[in-house]
Amino acid sequence: MKELSLNILDVAENSVKAGASLTQILLTEENDVLTLEIVDDGCGMSDDVVRSVTDPFYTTRTTRKVGMGIPLLKLACEQTDGELTIESVTEEEDPQGHGTHVTATFNMNHIDFTPLGDVSSTMLTLVQGHPDTDFLFVHKRNGSEVKLDTRELREVLEDVPLNSYDVMEWIGAYLREQYEELP
Amino acid sequence: MKVKELLAHGFEALALPDGEREIDGVYIGDLLSWVMGRAQMDNAWITIMTNVNVVAVASLADTSCVILAEGVAMTDELKDTAQAKDVNILGSSEPIYETAVRLAGLLA
Repeated sequence: MKELSLNILDVAENSVKAGASLTQILLTEENDVLTLEIVDDGCGMSDDVVRSVTDPFYTTRTTRKVGMGIPLLKLACEQTDGELTIESVTEEEDPQGHGTHVTATFNMNHIDFTPLGDVSSTMLTLVQGHPDTDFLFVHKRNGSEVKLDTRELREVLEDVPLNSYDVMEWIGAYLREQYEELP
Repeated sequence: MKVKELLAHGFEALALPDGEREIDGVYIGDLLSWVMGRAQMDNAWITIMTNVNVVAVASLADTSCVILAEGVAMTDELKDTAQAKDVNILGSSEPIYETAVRLAGLLA
């Protein structure tokens, strides 16, 4: 992907498909290292499936033979000398604490680092497409952060759907303002 | 032109499970997700990427062959996966542009 934000969208969609009620997208910049975490409370994957998702010929879809979300994310981080790890707990293993935790690290000063791109649009796309599931987005840099928590929005908005036009407009402006202030 | 016919013109067979495939046009690119959406069926795809994802992208886009330019080294993993997934991979010692020019002459 030309931008990591598109890759994030692809992988976060997997979380939603796994039935997650909350998907967290956490970006942490520390010195020259960017850590991306996508954490969900979805159905989780067995060890065999975890091993196979980095294989480009594995997919949960039936329409094609290959699924490229995780393999491309792995490539994007490994080409900056970073790494990708996946931890997952299935519903059977732990009915309360199941879910999947994908962690990818990137050396941002590496010449092959893929630009992060427009993560705000990624968040808008996720909320618009899945207004009934929750997302927590936190991007930390230099001691400040950009944050969006749809659970907080839902509490204030009560019955207004998150993907209604006005709410989407507001979320876009809210993220933009926070990014303008991020050092 | 068939993929296997390139072997007589300075291209090296790195994995050739289906040399009878016809080449129709050429696509060049290294950003795999970009290639995935743009390479056309039966294109010869020139790249310098040797990650195993190359085989998946070639398979998805249904290219006739992958041509690794600049003499980049092939990994065993890539070779085995290409054989298993029926993806042709050729090697060219020349840079990408020269490889493309040579192909243009052959396909004209």
